Amino acid sequence: MSNSLVTKTPLSDRLFNAIVKISPKVLMAILILPVLGGLFGVILPAFGWLPALDKTQFNVHGFQQLIQTPGIAQMIGLSFFTSIVSGLLAFIITLLLLATYFDSPWLPRIQRLLGPILVIPHAAAAIAIAFLITPSGMFARLLSPWLTGWQNPIDWLLPHDPYGISIIMGLTLKELPFLLLMTLSAIAQPALNIKLRAQYRLALSLGYYPMTAFFKAVLPNIYPLMRLPILAILAYASASVEMPLILGPNAPPTLAVAIMNWFHDVDLSLRIKASAGALLQLLITMSVLITWWLLEKITLAITCKSLSNGKRTYGDAFWAKIINFFTVLLISFITLALLGMVFWSFAGYWQFPLALPEQWVLVHWQSALLQVQTPIINSLSIGLVATSIAIILTLLTLEFEKQNGALLSNYSSLIIYLPLMIPSIAFLFGLVWLQEALHSKAIFMNVALAHLLFVLPYVFLSLASSYRRLDPRYAQVAASLGASPFKIFLQVSLPQLLMPIMMASALGLAISFSQYLPTLLVGGGRLNTVTTEAVSLANGASRRTSAVYALIQMLLPAIAFSMIWLVSTLQNRQKKNTKVNL
Amino acid sequence: MPLGKLSRLLSDKKSRFSTVFANHSLNKAAIFLSHKQQNGLRTQFTITSNFKAFGVILRQLILMLAVIFSPTALSYTAPISAQIFEQDSISVTTSLVAKKAPVETIWNTIETLGKNHSVYFHAWGGDPQINIYIQWLAKRVKNSHNIDLHHVKLTDTSEAVSRVLAEKSANNHQQGQVDLVWINGENFASMAQYQLLARGWVAQLPNFSLTNPSENEAMTRDFGLPTQGMEAPWGQASLSFYYTPSPNTHDLNYAQNSYQDSISKAPKNINQLLTWAEQNPGRFTYPKPPDFLSLSFLKYALIALNQQQKEQVKSGLYQAPTPQSQAALLPTLWAYLDKLHPHLWHQGQYFVASGTALQRLVGDGEINLGFTFSAAQIPASVARYNLPENTRSFVMKDGSLSNIHFVAIPYNAANSDSAKVVANFMLSVEAQAKKQQAEIWGDSTVIDVSKLPVQQQLLFSTNQPHPSALPINSKIIALSEPHPSWSKLINREWLKRYGAQ
Repeated sequence: MSNSLVTKTPLSDRLFNAIVKISPKVLMAILILPVLGGLFGVILPAFGWLPALDKTQFNVHGFQQLIQTPGIAQMIGLSFFTSIVSGLLAFIITLLLLATYFDSPWLPRIQRLLGPILVIPHAAAAIAIAFLITPSGMFARLLSPWLTGWQNPIDWLLPHDPYGISIIMGLTLKELPFLLLMTLSAIAQPALNIKLRAQYRLALSLGYYPMTAFFKAVLPNIYPLMRLPILAILAYASASVEMPLILGPNAPPTLAVAIMNWFHDVDLSLRIKASAGALLQLLITMSVLITWWLLEKITLAITCKSLSNGKRTYGDAFWAKIINFFTVLLISFITLALLGMVFWSFAGYWQFPLALPEQWVLVHWQSALLQVQTPIINSLSIGLVATSIAIILTLLTLEFEKQNGALLSNYSSLIIYLPLMIPSIAFLFGLVWLQEALHSKAIFMNVALAHLLFVLPYVFLSLASSYRRLDPRYAQVAASLGASPFKIFLQVSLPQLLMPIMMASALGLAISFSQYLPTLLVGGGRLNTVTTEAVSLANGASRRTSAVYALIQMLLPAIAFSMIWLVSTLQNRQKKNTKVNL
Repeated sequence: MPLGKLSRLLSDKKSRFSTVFANHSLNKAAIFLSHKQQNGLRTQFTITSNFKAFGVILRQLILMLAVIFSPTALSYTAPISAQIFEQDSISVTTSLVAKKAPVETIWNTIETLGKNHSVYFHAWGGDPQINIYIQWLAKRVKNSHNIDLHHVKLTDTSEAVSRVLAEKSANNHQQGQVDLVWINGENFASMAQYQLLARGWVAQLPNFSLTNPSENEAMTRDFGLPTQGMEAPWGQASLSFYYTPSPNTHDLNYAQNSYQDSISKAPKNINQLLTWAEQNPGRFTYPKPPDFLSLSFLKYALIALNQQQKEQVKSGLYQAPTPQSQAALLPTLWAYLDKLHPHLWHQGQYFVASGTALQRLVGDGEINLGFTFSAAQIPASVARYNLPENTRSFVMKDGSLSNIHFVAIPYNAANSDSAKVVANFMLSVEAQAKKQQAEIWGDSTVIDVSKLPVQQQLLFSTNQPHPSALPINSKIIALSEPHPSWSKLINREWLKRYGAQ
């Protein structure tokens, strides 16, 4: 009797194995069904099939209308160039920051300073930047009237310039921390970190200047880890709505904004054109990604020889100074934007050239706090549900990968990034249509699942590299001591991954908090989150109220991130204590 | 055919079979049923949860028993069901002619059925003042009818139109998510055209008669289109302007300046506006179509610029545009805008996307002249520091575009009875008087105040107005809204001309 029990694996282990086996499939289904279904729901109307308008014949009128739209070429150009240029800028600045501060205590400090920007929702960031650069913004106020002599705001074109400079500014500022943090979390993995540091030191000892050493010894190792985050920001930038809506031109706007306007136009027949536009958007996003790939190949071809040419410096000292200056500029830009927002949220009357408000009042916060409770609860609960599902599914899928000893196929990893690569504007409208067709009533779960679509890839992206680089010997030792896979997963793998998991959860929460289109469309406006409120008030009459909402929007994810900071300090203290005890 | 419908109704769990039963027993069902159209009974008695369904069925059983055992009841069930079945064809006149008792009974039924549900009110949410007023409405209907009124804050009403359309295309004909929508003009024309709205329900509201619809034709017309009982009036507004002099152009004791002095530098008609813009480059702008306020400004300009034309030509504005009327009326507008645009904010290369953004620009001092459809918003904004204290409101001497805004119930609303209860409360003296108070919202009432008892009339009188408010004695020359197709036309042509530069 006792023998038979010993040979049988415990129920929990069998269950765990079964769940692990099925989780990659669940993950794929969650990602692939809504996206493809949503695309389907856009493709049909694009080719003229929209039964609600009694249009049931397939044709290409939508595309004809689209081509005839005045300024369509400008729209496409604007979408294309703002995304490529902002992506490129974010990439270059990330590299320069890493190169300059790779071995300096300033890197974690900059990371800590930029970290909060990552979690600032796009809408809030756009509002803050707009506060800074408008003719009556902080810059003009600080310089007037003593330097410029302006008594009234002059009429300059920022922030809505037709060249998209403001959009590029906003996108770069938002993408930079994301790229930096993603790269840092990838190289924070102990095994890789030790290898990189060793190579870097070796290069230094061979007489390479620090920045050159980074570019020649470290970058070739970490670029593969940066590629997906870069592609994700490019895809996002080419189709984002909030930034161009608040900072961009509108005669004509970017294609994504135009599509959204057409979808929401009173003239319902414009939806056919909008659907055709969504497909065009898909093409643009693809061409942005292809352009990046080409740029990458060209750069590689040009620079691969210089890697081994033995040159030790390229004017490192000069560049380091420039970058130091630039970093200070960047950080003061961000600080000023945030300060401006805080000022506005407490401002009474504030006539133009004054740099500080004439009165300080609490009325904007008071009236906002009276109304913001439900949105905050909604934001938190949707975020928690979406993030926990994402974390659990990701961990199980990675565990499956480890148990089978093989990485996910290229095909599957492509699917994981599907919601990041396919512009949300292209499939969300179709998704709403699909959801209507299924008569789905569980609004909360629908919204949470829609958020999951966007949270999951980021969580996967930030967890996968850490999980895959776990030293397998710990698990092997545990297994040789007779531990079951479940026990190894729970007691060996997870504790080592505590920090990456926390990081991924905070990121997931932040992503969920900032979702605007999915919440609005899938929730049908019935679930108000802080973000939907902030965006609807951003177009409202009061700079002060929108500043309050943007600040609340920033505070939410900041809470999540400060929890991580707390956990990590506690952990460090514990480690120190154990070391002392030893 | 009628019998087939009857059996379908009897087998339909959701239908209120007691009414059918009573009719059947009176042998009148066939006549009334023949009037029944698609969304008569079903939307009325759609029930959201099983629990509530049970309660309703219980109530109906009791009601049915009462019907069977009371001969007096039998005599009025017929008119009730007649009203319910015929609701599609009810017009304002029939309801006024109909006896008082049945109307009241229908309303009692609606009120009973409407209790204890949620109503999702889709309304533009860009103004905190209006949002707070809607919260007050929610509190009141919660107390009176236990209805949970949820304000779904839209950035643009067309979002609600898109949603109902999406529901229709997905064959969701009964469980629509939009119960009540704040609407008028082009959005209404669009929804009416695609038959997305419930018809004929407005006359059922007891408070609708307060608007005196038989004498006041405006209450049943939306931008010239007959509302056919698809929407209930909620408030009315006219286009008014506000002016904030720049700090260096006004003397500091503006508080002592008389109203006339304060606005003496502001333009007073459409032609002065152009001269003013030329003298003050970059200090005026208007939003980009299809924004509601933008189209309102363009329509005002269109009407005002064509005031010298012959009556016959001008009347073209109130009919669907024809090639002739377009050729006669539109060129003056484009010529005007061509002259105006180089002198606008950002040289007319960028137009703000929404009307409310105008107020932000005035508040920032980037422009000096703005306009709004809710004049009461201006003093409220000054009080909340969003506009400078020296802001003054005025109306153009060549006329103000005026219109009425409405609430409508989509044809597939899940809680249409509750929505009617809410709409009825919105039309009550209490709610309308509160709405008109400048510090609450300041939206003019649709009630014919002169027909009210004196005590109730007093509720509508306003206190001493704020210096930035529109003076009570302002002479408003109301310009009626052109036919809704003009908006569409202006929008399209504007985007063609100025949409891409």
